[in-house]
Amino acid sequence: MSESTLEEIISFKNRHKFFVFITSSIVLAIVITTISMALYNSSGTAQLDLSRPGYKSVRAQSINEDSGFTAFSSFGELNPKVIKDFKTLYNQRTQKIKSVDAFGGDPLSPEALNFVTTDPALTN
Amino acid sequence: MTQDQINTVLTNCTSATNTLNQLHASDALLRVNMGQEYESALTKLMTGFNGRIANNGFSNDILKAISSSYSGILNKFRSDYISYESNLSGAIKTNCLKQPTAFYTAVDKARQSRIKLHDDVIKLNEYIEQYRVELDNFEAEYIAATKGNK
Repeated sequence: MSESTLEEIISFKNRHKFFVFITSSIVLAIVITTISMALYNSSGTAQLDLSRPGYKSVRAQSINEDSGFTAFSSFGELNPKVIKDFKTLYNQRTQKIKSVDAFGGDPLSPEALNFVTTDPALTN
Repeated sequence: MTQDQINTVLTNCTSATNTLNQLHASDALLRVNMGQEYESALTKLMTGFNGRIANNGFSNDILKAISSSYSGILNKFRSDYISYESNLSGAIKTNCLKQPTAFYTAVDKARQSRIKLHDDVIKLNEYIEQYRVELDNFEAEYIAATKGNK
């Protein structure tokens, strides 16, 4: 690069300092926001975010199960009573899980969405 | 797709889109609520008890193996839900009046990923049950072992 070209670049930078600063700030903000949104969507966080539009109807029904449920500690004695107590806790907590057939049924089947055509051969 | 099928999609387009929107919201709620339950079973129960056993100088490889398999399926459940949600959103975004065939295909894709997700739930429930059965076995072994020491 010739000395005059370098001088021109430096001179341009000096003359447009504020413009360069604003432009680079905007570009940087766009890049960081794009990366954040990509991570938000790909990590599964977006799918758990009920504050998104479209989830208003169900938002209030989300349950905070942490209330009143403390984790079973790894530390402490192990004796028949502790095992029995843990079994009781385990059965109580997992009963709810087993009672819900999550994502069961077939609500997206052609029958459920009324996409089934009447077969003329069957109606005749 | 036959013309009859295309016509059926066009006729039921609005109601199908409404159903998909409702399902999208209710499944998100299910994912949040049941996801917490699945997570708690691992982090607050299985991990804690496995740690208690180890910290008291006992070992139970079967309980550890079940927890590990459960954890693996839980990870799969998380990623399968992302795929399902993405496929369902894709179907919702497809205009069924303008692209009935693409809509039908998108719905079928979402349906397949939901079936996959349900398979994960079945496996999680199986591991929960296996852990419960193994707890009984461990209890019996523990009592037998500690009686021998007395």
